[in-house]
Amino acid sequence: MKKFGLIVLLVLLFLLCVYPFVFLGQSFSFENGHFDFAIYKRAFTSNMTIRSFWNTMFVCGTTVILSTLVSIPLAWLFTRTNLAFKGFWRTVFCLPYAIPPFIGAIAWIYLANPSNGLLKPLLPWINIYSKTGLIFVMSAFFYTFILINLLSALEKIDPSLEEAARISGASSWHVFSKITIPLVVPSLVSGMLLAFLSAIANFGIAALIGNAAGISMMTTQIFIFQKMASYTGLKLSGILSLGLLLIAAVVFYLDHVISRKFRFSLVTGKVARPSLIDLGAKQFGAQLLLLFLSIIIFILPIGAILIAALSKLQGDRSLSNFGLQNFVTIFSKTDETYRAVGNSAYLAIGAAVLCSLFGYFLSQAGKQLPGRLNKLKEAFVAIPYAVPGTVIALALTLTTLSWKLPLYNTLGIILLAYMAKFLNFSYRIINDGVSQVDQTLIDAAHVAGANSWQTFIRIWMPILRPFLMASFFLVFMPAFSELTMSVLLTGPGNETIGTLIFQLQEYGDASGGGAAVLAFCVLVLIVILNATLKIATKGKYGL
Amino acid sequence: MSAVEFNNVSKDYQGNQILKNISFKINDGEFVSFLGPSGCGKTTSLRMVAGLEKNSSGEISIGNELISSPEKNIFLPTKDRKLGMVFQSYAIWPHMNIFENVAFPLRMMKTTESDIKSKVEEVLSLVELGGLSQRMPNTLSGGQQQRVALARGLVARPRVLLLDEPLSNLDAKLREKMRRDIRQIQQHFKITCIYVTHDQVEAFSMSDRIMIMEKGNILQFDTPTAIRANPANEFVREFIN
Repeated sequence: MKKFGLIVLLVLLFLLCVYPFVFLGQSFSFENGHFDFAIYKRAFTSNMTIRSFWNTMFVCGTTVILSTLVSIPLAWLFTRTNLAFKGFWRTVFCLPYAIPPFIGAIAWIYLANPSNGLLKPLLPWINIYSKTGLIFVMSAFFYTFILINLLSALEKIDPSLEEAARISGASSWHVFSKITIPLVVPSLVSGMLLAFLSAIANFGIAALIGNAAGISMMTTQIFIFQKMASYTGLKLSGILSLGLLLIAAVVFYLDHVISRKFRFSLVTGKVARPSLIDLGAKQFGAQLLLLFLSIIIFILPIGAILIAALSKLQGDRSLSNFGLQNFVTIFSKTDETYRAVGNSAYLAIGAAVLCSLFGYFLSQAGKQLPGRLNKLKEAFVAIPYAVPGTVIALALTLTTLSWKLPLYNTLGIILLAYMAKFLNFSYRIINDGVSQVDQTLIDAAHVAGANSWQTFIRIWMPILRPFLMASFFLVFMPAFSELTMSVLLTGPGNETIGTLIFQLQEYGDASGGGAAVLAFCVLVLIVILNATLKIATKGKYGL
Repeated sequence: MSAVEFNNVSKDYQGNQILKNISFKINDGEFVSFLGPSGCGKTTSLRMVAGLEKNSSGEISIGNELISSPEKNIFLPTKDRKLGMVFQSYAIWPHMNIFENVAFPLRMMKTTESDIKSKVEEVLSLVELGGLSQRMPNTLSGGQQQRVALARGLVARPRVLLLDEPLSNLDAKLREKMRRDIRQIQQHFKITCIYVTHDQVEAFSMSDRIMIMEKGNILQFDTPTAIRANPANEFVREFIN
């Protein structure tokens, strides 16, 4: 790459991933050139803010604890035992990672709302509009962050570390509690912090369930302040965003410290694990437990969405009430549907292509940048991934406004937000691929007389193809049904699938079941895309 | 009594027979090497003694105790076999200091704290690591880590000490010293040792008897002198040269 190209690349990266947050911070802190204490005082002493802070801490903290308790035994079953149907169960329990959490919230509202929830006849006391409900639905999604982290860490441990303990007379429990768990502490903690971060940044569940339950969370409070559409409102929401940003920063700092303190050199890469624990008679019990859990996490919510999508009138259980009425309404009588599908497809494809390209060039630049600058580059790429979506949305709005870019209320700004948020996925995957390519392969092409462009097309592209595909899918999937940022950035005519489902559910005719129809379509699409990705990359990517 | 005996032991894995009906007996206090090229079944045999792998048929016993027999539905779990093992990768637990690593087998036996202390110190000085007990594993060299592994394998006075290519990650000079030291310690405890290696120099310099294996069969099981004087077949002759 030419020097000029490198500089342009790094400037673009800085403007997309770093500058907006700096700008957000300083534009709210200064009023006429002076540090504005008053607005901080107002933001951080208002009852609403304080309550939303404690609600967020309590709900998300409890979610992480519950998620950890579920993930550890699951991870053990999937990596250390001769559990039957292991691959199938693994996919089932990892899949919620790819499903947008607000769809789960909608499903659980159908299942357990206090007026006509589907589970009401069985469990009369059930009420999803409560702190318990909020924690439950969040846990049902964010445990996947811990589980996936644990699975990869458990697979990397040198098996002889555990075998040595067995030879020393340790029971399965002692091997697990004294050897295995201490060795995966860094991964466990970073999974827990990641789950916490995703939970505090989550908007969909907080809004759909929290609002109805009268539990205000930080993300929903930011949304309310911003929708006040006044300058003060914008300022308050900005400052609360900074608070959220601060929590995220603390979380990342903790992760950094802990992973440093407990860093052991474990064998990297998957290793064959010849001696699995024989579950014996407990095999049946394990299958039953997994079936029960999967019913709660998976089958009930999907069933509820399907029933809601097929019900002409919500709450009516007679057979004549079922039909494709809602599908017809949503797909032939609602203009917004096509606009939203079109917008989301355009945004998701755009973000996936641009992120992959950007990720490729950033990765190639790594070979020419000095080590320290390269580290800085990687940190920049990771920043928006760690920053809560609401904060990204606000920061980009303010930055583009200050540059007088005509992006306010356009799809352009949503595209920028997606790119910032998901660039980290693309970069990591493509960098993984680029670093696997031996330089001699490239040198050989040059010796054979290929120029840079020919090398790119004939050598890089074919080798990187699985990585580029994974990058495309892993940006496309979350972008296609994104809600948190879109809901703050959308304007008239700019609906996305996420915001349309949200509006239908929150403000629209709830009995229509329109939200359920779209949610069901998104679910089907995600399952198909995930399977495609898994097959296309031979199991390396995909759940 | 800690003789080790295999009786018509086979191991099938994914349709391949990786051990073909082998029988042998290792006497109490004997140092035996399993020698052969990779894939010959030597490591599998060792891991079956440990119970880290199960034989598909036949009987394995230690002393007078039958520890594995699929036909009789007997399988003594690894943790109850009272063995010591030294792994190629050392397998020193990185989250415990040297003392705790070595003390682990004793803790599993619920030994008293004062006993643990004296036994660990004793075995550490035997492997020439006295004074390092509070160090963390990542501050030790490869050779020192392997001595920790040896100490951990010996501390609980196991019935048999299993060594799975323990020296192959060390450099040549260190290897020579370790060979002498391991042999000396074995004589000191008069412990039965099974030593897996693909290095014939190692096998010939340390063992009372050597079992040469190829493709899941035993080709020859005899003393080093006898094997040198009288190789069983062309493969053995080639291999030991």
